[in-house]
Amino acid sequence: MDGLNRSSLWLTALVAVSLGSVDLYAQESTVYASVVSTKLFVVGAANPQTGLFSLRSSGDTTWQHTGPHNIRAFGMAVHTPSRGRLVCIASGNGVHKTTDAGTTWKITTGWEITEVLWVSIDPRTPEVMFCATPYGVYRTINGGTTWEEKTKGVQQRFTSSVVIDHSNSSTIYCSTEDGVYRSNDGAETWFRTGLNVGGVRVVVQHPKNADVLLAGTDDHGIYITRNGGKYWEKTEAGLDHSTFYSIAFDPQNPQTLYAGGYVTGVYKSTDGGVSWRRTNSGLTNLNIHSIAVDPTNGDRVFAGTQWGGVFRSDDGGSTWRSAGLSGSQVWAITVQPF
Amino acid sequence: MRNSAVILLTVLFLVPSVEARAQPSFEQRRQRLIEVVAGERDRSFFTVTAKLVTGKDKEFAIQMLDSLTTDQSIGGMFYSYAAIGSYLRLRDQLPDSLKAKMRNSFRERTMYRGDTENHWVMYYTGLYLAAQTWPNEGRSQWYNGKSSDENFREAEEWLNLWFKTSSTIGQGEFDSPTYFITFITPVLTLYEFASDPVMKRRAQMMADLLFADFAVEHLNGNYCGGHSRDYPEDIMNPLSAPAALWAWLYFGEPQFELWQETRYRPRHRGGWETVFGAMSSYRLPEIIYSIATDRSTPYVHTETKRVRNIIRFGLEKNPPVYKYTYMTRHYALGSLQGGILQPIQQHTWDVTFASDKPYNTIFTLHPFYSGKELAMFFPEEQKFLSDEVDRYHKIYTNPNKWNSSSPFEQTFQHKNTILVLYNIDKGITHPHIDGFFPKNLDERSIDPSGWIFCRMGATYVAFYSLRPYEWIEEEINWRWRSFELMNCIVVEVGSSDEEGPFEQFKRNLQARSPALTGGGRNPTIEYTTRSGDHMKFTFNGPRLLNGKPVNFAEYKFFNGPYLHSERKSGVVTMTYKNHVRELDFDKATIKEWQKLQ
Repeated sequence: MDGLNRSSLWLTALVAVSLGSVDLYAQESTVYASVVSTKLFVVGAANPQTGLFSLRSSGDTTWQHTGPHNIRAFGMAVHTPSRGRLVCIASGNGVHKTTDAGTTWKITTGWEITEVLWVSIDPRTPEVMFCATPYGVYRTINGGTTWEEKTKGVQQRFTSSVVIDHSNSSTIYCSTEDGVYRSNDGAETWFRTGLNVGGVRVVVQHPKNADVLLAGTDDHGIYITRNGGKYWEKTEAGLDHSTFYSIAFDPQNPQTLYAGGYVTGVYKSTDGGVSWRRTNSGLTNLNIHSIAVDPTNGDRVFAGTQWGGVFRSDDGGSTWRSAGLSGSQVWAITVQPF
Repeated sequence: MRNSAVILLTVLFLVPSVEARAQPSFEQRRQRLIEVVAGERDRSFFTVTAKLVTGKDKEFAIQMLDSLTTDQSIGGMFYSYAAIGSYLRLRDQLPDSLKAKMRNSFRERTMYRGDTENHWVMYYTGLYLAAQTWPNEGRSQWYNGKSSDENFREAEEWLNLWFKTSSTIGQGEFDSPTYFITFITPVLTLYEFASDPVMKRRAQMMADLLFADFAVEHLNGNYCGGHSRDYPEDIMNPLSAPAALWAWLYFGEPQFELWQETRYRPRHRGGWETVFGAMSSYRLPEIIYSIATDRSTPYVHTETKRVRNIIRFGLEKNPPVYKYTYMTRHYALGSLQGGILQPIQQHTWDVTFASDKPYNTIFTLHPFYSGKELAMFFPEEQKFLSDEVDRYHKIYTNPNKWNSSSPFEQTFQHKNTILVLYNIDKGITHPHIDGFFPKNLDERSIDPSGWIFCRMGATYVAFYSLRPYEWIEEEINWRWRSFELMNCIVVEVGSSDEEGPFEQFKRNLQARSPALTGGGRNPTIEYTTRSGDHMKFTFNGPRLLNGKPVNFAEYKFFNGPYLHSERKSGVVTMTYKNHVRELDFDKATIKEWQKLQ
């Protein structure tokens, strides 16, 4: 893992220097997947096949495990500018953090923070991080040395995702049991956006247009806002399902999105989320919990399933094949350009 | 106790100097248990420790301990407290290489903290004692990247929070015949090995509280009444529950050695956790022993507990649980108020017979399950939770399960009578109600009056179903089943002490039956007990006893002749005859005194 990072770092640096653009990363990238549990899970017993795994995107299905096993790893965050030296895992035990690409780890949280479902790192100021828990949002401004509960204004605290606005780090969104909330002051105070349906499972932001966000919900489908959460509209064209746990933009072509959830398989939109079509050829597990698009190659898409491991597509979702971690419950997945 | 009319004896002193004398046979029982466990072959920290303490199979035990230390199949929370407990008990006789291995395990193996109260008690007990044992070590020396000092402080903080919560609003995983071991064993380990005298005292007080809580609902080894969590085999056969072995050790009941009968042999994770108690220097205060074993006078005991943390679909994190238990020397009748108080393993009400026979209980339930119920308590996706839970509990979605919470079940108990009202929504997957009637009852008859009369020993049970039902014969029991969405069960319990002959008990009931006096969405049932008390009960509505509303808000933390505590006071008072013991969790003090009669 560390060796791979070093080599990719050199390659990335070389390309970046010679071409002068961070958009022109090498074709190689790294896939990270966090595994909550496997089919072998027994309550109370250790389950070594869980935690954070990584894979070279051009490689086979051999995933490398890094960090602690047996922690019920839900979300994770990879700090892209550090090229994966800074990574956090959101787990039952709290927020685990490495600053040396996985050589050493520390749980940054205490007993107060548990069953962490999501963690976000501010890419510009990585000392600022947020985590989402059943008890609300917590924030650190010192890299995890201390965490503070930040739930003022939130009614139902169960929170499943947090988004730091890429155009303004003071603007934060979170998905909760009673809608999508927004903060304009770095999570000091929250107000509910125009979306107040129950059971919002995930909120994602357009990679270029910060005002556009999508939200996936339990039983209420997918909603889209084009004005930073003021108004939301339900996007239904082509959608035959109602529970969505994951929505992913193609970073290079944000008009293309993928979405998945409970028995949905993968849906794809090529018009910015206005309409959708199912694209499941080869997908043998239709319970999708996580989707990510390779930022270096938009045709390369990864989907994490419930107890079915990871599937990948190399043709923009037209066909899928198993990509390993068979039997795993893959809560989150991301592809990093290094 | 605080009544001015009560004159306090001048003997008032602070414990820890109070060490109640050992019960006459306790010393023999604990030695016996250690010897028995030392002869066991099952692989656990408990058998290993017993072997090495007694010097039995020493070489084999060392090998077993070595293999346990590297066994990744043991969950972190189960490993941590048991491993450190064994280490601290045995360190003077372990080879240095094994001691180093055990220490390294706290660096190299991930200790998952778990997601339930019992997991956290085990986890933080282990972490506390490990950090105390290996102080001043840096972050690289611990599995979680925290220093000894950081780990010690975190564990100490949480344990103190747990003591406070448990002594003011109660445990979430309360009164569990199965999970009792996962609280008392780490607490006694903490008591035994904590260096800080305050922590040691708090652990002693917590052990007192756990035992006293058990004692007031204890009958001949059985943990009676409603339970937050219990396994079906333990619900059907209460003496097979792990708590029974603790009752045998500390209360001296039942009066036979449970492990001699296969059906009562400990089985949960090796099941010999009790040997940590037998090896502990903790001694049960005599007053708790007396409370546990004196059933000369029937009594009502009520208490409040709390619902396990509700993380969604609820407005309150820990709503109160109201428990009502009626104890006699022949039987106990106990209940929770009903509804969803705990996912998966709730046991809402039962009759327990003080019999040495197995399957000494009768109860009913609605076998409810839903992803939403689980999602109230677990953070995973509600659509998958039922399947996930069934992967390890196996029976969650089973229509024949013997443990369940249900939003469609509510109870109203007054002394030895209980009304259990079912009001099941249409469209529910398992739209039936089940009742457990053991086949080994001495008598079971269906009376023309509609009552089902049962007898086990000196205990009589009368069971009335408002609506039709059927019987299904199973291996050890008759399954009473009703497919009526709305039904009411009336159960009256008595004994030869109160009723005289069984026939007299029957005659007293034959002319009685409950009446449905209000229909619609929330039915109302009225019933007059054989003692002449009028009970009126509306589903999701009031419970009226002789016209007066039962106000759960007035329930104390503990209230009964033996145990008293105001909710959130942190002060628990035990009383037995003229003997009083007071635990003040805020001040971390134990006081004992005697009242003048």
